[in-house]
Amino acid sequence: MNKNLVSPSLKRGLTFGIVMIIFVLIDLDVMVATMLSKLFGANVIRGSLPDVRFMVLFLILFGMFVGWSTSSDDAKPTTKLFQALVAGLTLGVVLGLFDLILNQLIVTGTDVRKYLAALAPESIRLFLFDQGAISPLLHLGLFTVASLLGSLMKILLKSESASRFFKGVKSGYQGLKAKAQANTPNWVKKYGKFLLFLLIGLLAFFLPRIWGSYNNYVVGLVGLYVILGIGLNIIVGLSGQLMLGFAAFFAMGAYSVALLNAPLPHGIMLGFWPSLLIGILMAVVAAVLLGLPVMGMRGDYLAIVTLGFGEIIRILLKSDLLTSFTGGPRGIQDIRGPTLFGQPFSSDIDYTYIILVVMVLSIIIYKRLERSRTGRAWLAVKEDTKVAQATGVNIMTNKLLALCLGAAFAGLAGGIFAARNQFTGPNDHQLMVSMNILSILIVGGVNSIPGIILGAFTLKGLPEILREIENYRLLVFGGLLVVMMISRPEGLWPATRPNIEKDEGNKLKEDGAPGEGGLND
Amino acid sequence: MENEIRPPRRYKRSKLPKLVRWIFGLIVLSYFFWRLYTVFIVQNEYTPDIWVRLLISGLVIGGVYSLIAIGYTLVYGILRMINFAHGEVMMIGTFAGYFVFEATNAIRFTSSTGEITSLSNAQPFLSILLAFIVGMTVAATFGFLLEKIAYRPLRKAPRLIPLISAIGASIFLQNLAQLLFSPLVRDYKNPDLIARGQGWAITVAGARLTIPYTGVLTFSLSIILMFALYTMVRKSKLGKSMRAVAADKSTAALMGIDVNGVISQTFIISGMLAGAAGVMWGLHNGLVYYYVGFMPGIKAFTSAVLGGIGNIPGAMLGGMLLGLIESIGPTALGISYQLKDVLAFVILIIILIFRPSGILGEVLSEEKV
Repeated sequence: MNKNLVSPSLKRGLTFGIVMIIFVLIDLDVMVATMLSKLFGANVIRGSLPDVRFMVLFLILFGMFVGWSTSSDDAKPTTKLFQALVAGLTLGVVLGLFDLILNQLIVTGTDVRKYLAALAPESIRLFLFDQGAISPLLHLGLFTVASLLGSLMKILLKSESASRFFKGVKSGYQGLKAKAQANTPNWVKKYGKFLLFLLIGLLAFFLPRIWGSYNNYVVGLVGLYVILGIGLNIIVGLSGQLMLGFAAFFAMGAYSVALLNAPLPHGIMLGFWPSLLIGILMAVVAAVLLGLPVMGMRGDYLAIVTLGFGEIIRILLKSDLLTSFTGGPRGIQDIRGPTLFGQPFSSDIDYTYIILVVMVLSIIIYKRLERSRTGRAWLAVKEDTKVAQATGVNIMTNKLLALCLGAAFAGLAGGIFAARNQFTGPNDHQLMVSMNILSILIVGGVNSIPGIILGAFTLKGLPEILREIENYRLLVFGGLLVVMMISRPEGLWPATRPNIEKDEGNKLKEDGAPGEGGLND
Repeated sequence: MENEIRPPRRYKRSKLPKLVRWIFGLIVLSYFFWRLYTVFIVQNEYTPDIWVRLLISGLVIGGVYSLIAIGYTLVYGILRMINFAHGEVMMIGTFAGYFVFEATNAIRFTSSTGEITSLSNAQPFLSILLAFIVGMTVAATFGFLLEKIAYRPLRKAPRLIPLISAIGASIFLQNLAQLLFSPLVRDYKNPDLIARGQGWAITVAGARLTIPYTGVLTFSLSIILMFALYTMVRKSKLGKSMRAVAADKSTAALMGIDVNGVISQTFIISGMLAGAAGVMWGLHNGLVYYYVGFMPGIKAFTSAVLGGIGNIPGAMLGGMLLGLIESIGPTALGISYQLKDVLAFVILIIILIFRPSGILGEVLSEEKV
């Protein structure tokens, strides 16, 4: 076999070996094994380790992935198998050497947790299948076989007959779909959408009463982040200004509601709804004050300035200077919730209703905005500032308007957030919050409402439901951002370009109109 | 009538942003002057030795900022991108140095005089040298990998895409370090020769104060490294090709310069400087944890912008200036020391608003993209 075939596979195996070693060092292997065991219905008590079978399963899956990704698409089956064999062997050898070190740690009873915090002896034993000195050999065999299996799977699934089979399934499905569409009675076509919305509305009304306070909490959190995502999308996605200090506007809303509705430090007790309005207003004022001086700044400079602005707000909230006014690092406690028609309206079910209603309103407002004259002006500014200017779009007003509207959404979400938690402090408004919201946009898809909902659910909802991945959430975030930018910059659920040309009766048809999603400078 | 073509609205450049900008600047300036007046003329309670002490600490911190800022400036000059994860490269350097000192401290033997000493105390120069070499190598490796994995595939993407990738890499590295080494704040084990808090005693205006050994080491080493880098960029072949790539990538490629190689080498060099800065930070401040790189990273970026991003002497000057402002500023303005970060950010915003090209101007990026 020639060198061109061996060397890339060797490299693959080596890379995956290092990845696996890092997994072990941060205890990610045990986490995945735990999740697998839960998937198969095993009852794992928090803090205890999963069965060794699931560790084996995880390693097999990992090896199969290595084999799958190493076999190149256009190679012959034997070549594929050879590539997978080389990669699997390399992976096995790398991990075998690593196993020797780990085994030495176990035998000598050295505890390295002072330096490598996650490397507990129990986890090491689990990784070594509790077999001591022969575990390197076990790993070597396991990875080689698994890698070959992965390659075999690729050969089978990507083969001629398999693709014909899938095509057949697909065309059959499409035929069924067309038939179903033809058979749909007219009234369903007419009112189908309406009925669907009604169903969703009914579900949204009844589900929060049934599924318990924890689910309400998660749904509320996701809803709030959807609102925040929509706000940031107006700034980043529609008008094309990268903003890294969005949490500052969120803080404006939260602190307005908190200061006007808590017994300490001021005891104004204005009531939730008026203070929510004031919060939105404060966020808009902050946006104007920030926006006016920095308008016309270069894209990356704007990002850094807004980051600085967010940090300034957070440090000021935390500092001694404003402790008497904002409660300092300890924040504000006992924020009073909203009332409706004189009745207290602040159980967790009520908050879910409020958030869902506000979320739907935000989506409607966003949709209207996107198609409006202003929305199109924003897109024009984003695509090409100079051309937009030449056609009579006022750059400054439009950019500032986008900033203000986005900030208003953030203020709204912040106010509800503070009242729902009955507490807000400087730590609720860290840089990480801004980054999370930006990640939601990018992971889900810029300018796409389903994308934002999907992103909010993936990044805020899933970690709440799967408590095991809590510790690894930010790590996965960071990695995901890089991977998304490289492989899929338009997001998981990319936006489709609204058919503005047709709406306007404009006959201009562009070939290859620029993509809607993604970020352009 | 409904088919009538509306004439395009006449575009009028609004004077409002400029006005607001100047009002904003005036408010900040007059606040600074008022505070300075209060502290120096009205209160006037500080003796010269306090200022000298602040000056010394400012120069030390400034040296570290300068080293990191050079990394930002080099990368910006060549790729026109803000390497947001540069602070994390520094953090990795700090950790590498920490482990070297832990290791040399753990090796114990009986010296000729019969006492039990550790390697780091018996051979302090060796262990410091080792820490710097390991810190710089590890940081350079991470800088190289960072470029290769997170930035190289995005060479032709719009400008904001690499920035977001860099933010992702920064979050990733921070959390990797947190998961690997736990969120614990650890103490740097300096060799006794340069123990923290020890230093030469000098007398200024009748008051005694100490110049810390770590400070002297940090400052002199950063000056040496900066000088070496400057000479390298001016004189060596690599420096020449770096300047060529910064000026025009495609022409440089036509002249037979390996553009990708030069970019990789740039990341290695900036990683080395950041690693050295990280070890210095650990030796001088004594704390290491996963978040240690974030603030110095942002501050160093501020310094790079302050001096004019893309401009190497500008980064050095900006770093020193920012270090001085940060250490002297809170006292001179009579505000709480907690607010020194706010001061740095306010200066960043003011610079970007009024003179985005920095003090010395952007040398490497003429075309404003």
